[in-house]
Amino acid sequence: MRMLVLTGIALTAGSAASLAAIALVELVSLLNTGLLVAPKARVQWESLPWLVATTTVLVPTLGGLIVGLVHKHLSPAQRPLGPPDVIEAVQFHRPLPGLRSGLVSTGTAALSLGAGASVGQYGPMVYLGAIFGSFAHRLRLGVPNLASIAIGCGVAAAISTAFNAPIAGVLFAHEVVLRHYATRAFAPVTVASVTGYVIANVIFERPALFRIESPGITHGYEFALVAVLGLVVAMAAILFMRLLLAVGPTLARWIKWPELRTAMAGLAVGLTALALPDVLGIGTSTLRFATIDGAFGLGEVIVLICAKTVLTALCIGAGFSGGAFSPSLLIGSLIGVFFWTLASGVAGVPSSGAAIYAISGMMGFASAVIGAPLTCILIVFELTRNYDVTIAAMVAVVFSNLLSHRAFGRSLFDVQLARRGIDFSLGRDRAHFAALKVVDYLQPDAVTATAEDAAQDVSDRLQARGWREAFVLDTDGTLVGVFTPGAQGTATRVGSDVGPARLVFHDTTDLAEAMERLRGFVGDAVPVVSQENGTYLGAVSEADLVSAWLDEGVRLRREENAAI
Amino acid sequence: MRRSDFVSLCLLVAAPVAAEDLTVVSWGGAYEAAQRHAIIDPYARQTGQTVTVAEYDGSWAALEARGAEDGWDVIDMLSDQARVACARGLLLEMTPRSLFSSETLEDFTPFGPDRCAVPQNAYARVMAFDDRAFAGVKPTRIEDFFDTDRFPGPRAIQRSPDGILEWALLAEGVPPEQVYGLLSTDRGLRLAFRKLGTIRDDIIWWEDPAEPADMLADGRAVMAAGFNGRFFDIAQRGRAPIDIVWDGRIIGIEVWAIAASTKAPDAARAFIVHATQPASMARFATQIPYGPTRVSAFNRIGINPQTGVPMRAYLPNAPQHGGRALVRDSGWYANTDKLRQRRFSKWLDGAE
Repeated sequence: MRMLVLTGIALTAGSAASLAAIALVELVSLLNTGLLVAPKARVQWESLPWLVATTTVLVPTLGGLIVGLVHKHLSPAQRPLGPPDVIEAVQFHRPLPGLRSGLVSTGTAALSLGAGASVGQYGPMVYLGAIFGSFAHRLRLGVPNLASIAIGCGVAAAISTAFNAPIAGVLFAHEVVLRHYATRAFAPVTVASVTGYVIANVIFERPALFRIESPGITHGYEFALVAVLGLVVAMAAILFMRLLLAVGPTLARWIKWPELRTAMAGLAVGLTALALPDVLGIGTSTLRFATIDGAFGLGEVIVLICAKTVLTALCIGAGFSGGAFSPSLLIGSLIGVFFWTLASGVAGVPSSGAAIYAISGMMGFASAVIGAPLTCILIVFELTRNYDVTIAAMVAVVFSNLLSHRAFGRSLFDVQLARRGIDFSLGRDRAHFAALKVVDYLQPDAVTATAEDAAQDVSDRLQARGWREAFVLDTDGTLVGVFTPGAQGTATRVGSDVGPARLVFHDTTDLAEAMERLRGFVGDAVPVVSQENGTYLGAVSEADLVSAWLDEGVRLRREENAAI
Repeated sequence: MRRSDFVSLCLLVAAPVAAEDLTVVSWGGAYEAAQRHAIIDPYARQTGQTVTVAEYDGSWAALEARGAEDGWDVIDMLSDQARVACARGLLLEMTPRSLFSSETLEDFTPFGPDRCAVPQNAYARVMAFDDRAFAGVKPTRIEDFFDTDRFPGPRAIQRSPDGILEWALLAEGVPPEQVYGLLSTDRGLRLAFRKLGTIRDDIIWWEDPAEPADMLADGRAVMAAGFNGRFFDIAQRGRAPIDIVWDGRIIGIEVWAIAASTKAPDAARAFIVHATQPASMARFATQIPYGPTRVSAFNRIGINPQTGVPMRAYLPNAPQHGGRALVRDSGWYANTDKLRQRRFSKWLDGAE
């Protein structure tokens, strides 16, 4: 029965997500043509240069203005949604942010991409896939964690459709979104991914978004070169991500109206595109040029790398709806080309051509940004079906991830989540324990007292409830200390016998932190006070915390090892 | 009988057109002769109409100048010319759904009828070589056209930017579906001309489409870019061992269209329905190697009555050819005419 439910969900979420991803790509390409962003559309008006120049500046600017206004007035979330929101929902089994916010975000993503903003399409596609999966949240079909699995299915199908890469789709869903490989999730996600592939390839016969053909690697030492390239792109990726994260808050300080922020970012894109049309939009043609030997001069490639990095950070930071993955592919491949030009052109090292370096750079950079080395390696494999190229890209990917993970974090998404207080840097279980707050485990019958209470009364009350310590509060309800009867023995009033509390938790203290601080603690309960004003909120017993820890541990193990 | 054939027959019988006369405009030469034999004469016999065939140079400008005056009804056009003519209001609009069943519409390849034109046959710009020039390894890919180390010798190329720019990018490894997008950028054009520059000293230019086959035959060139029908002609007449490389073929589509000034719109439509039946297309393709634009017609193509050659292998869009194929983007051609000419002249002057 469960098998049927899971297969049904996988097929439904998979095909819906795949069709929606195709629709998004088509819509964007329609807008790109209509708004003179696509080269083929721009070239028809080549005889009217002023028209092309005007639209180049106006389209992204007005697009930005509309995107900003739509987010402000129509979206309850008031911002574009993306993979971090999906990860959060899946990890903590919460519903995604409202459907309306999701649809608005998808619409603005189509507009952002259509108007040529320097953002990517895969983030919105992942979110769109997740929306279809999230409908399973409403179903009660008796399968634990069904909604998370269904979202994983939607995401896998979207990626599989976009890249014509079903294996990469499966891995992306597990590596980035689900973060475990339970059979209960793996099987349906695989089914969904294959569904996406079938729809994209067999039914619609869509070409892959980019196709790479490469002769392979001719010199053994090139693997070492590619490893160095991995380190180079990692440094660039770290710079890019830091810039991206810094731009948002800075812009918010400078420009008060959010719609003007996006309009301004659009204007920057438009003005740059006057001289450098390659920065417009997803940059599919630029990505292709990167695989052709000598398509870019050295100076040109440096300018383009800088422009694309800054503009992408600006567009995403300002609030355009779109992801960072496609721009990452582009920037990474340009860095690869730059590296190849230096190595073969300037230093004169014989090499197997720009394509290998472009691909390795592309995947090294992108894997550092999305934190998915396996996915990136498999995307190369499925797109090129070339063993040599995949191995070269794999070397670049691992070296890039080594550096970026150490110096920045696992991925842009994880760092964005960490800024919202969800920290995956020490693993999935740690994040889960950290999501549980001790304040939710307060014991209702903990004993409190004031300094004026009679020691004997309090002692009797403690004995009646089986506690050994009472928490002493002042008149405002602030915690003063702990009273333990029989410590000095003879006091008549509680006030003369108050000792300091050895351990105090705040209302923000989470289970992970609490368990660490409990090490070496002797006593039956820990008081919890408000971090703001020190008001006593209650007490948690050590036994309750340990049970909560064990329960969550068991739940996670069940989820991660579920068969069907 | 296929449903589509039935529909068209009904149209033929039911339409009150029997007394009307029709003027069909085409290109002349062997092409027109094949059309007469395969399509026009059977139509005249079936309907009892008198069909006059006129000749023109293929341009929409000629249609504008002579169409109304000379009483043109049905016109054979290149699809990009038809596109321009349609936009200028020179062609009669039609609704494909009223002429063809939905099955028939799906049968068309690589694209179906639009509001002004119905695809009728496919020709291709292909690369051909003189088999005598390469004793060992023969060229098999577009890359080989630009590889003068492995395949030395003069190349015959049309003195125009048509086709050769596409090949230049294909030879750089660009997948066919991205070629026109990339050629729309300045960088793409630069790269294409750079590639063309690598064989600059080996180029021998031609202007008349008959020349490249002759150049191969008389040894002035070892490889040539030209139209598949011309190469077929020379090779089949036994004048020279010319072989066609189908990789990188650029398929162009010929369409039927109706002049806006026609006095016999019903007869014109009936003619087009007749001409685009699988049987008509197949009859035409056995005369001359221009492929049908309907999938179902491929199975009917047999032996050329003059040479006895089975024609299927020589059709540019035959499904059995491997390699890369590009469908000539008529919209792009119509829009970039001046730009391409300008850049090409600049390159010829050595400034590109």
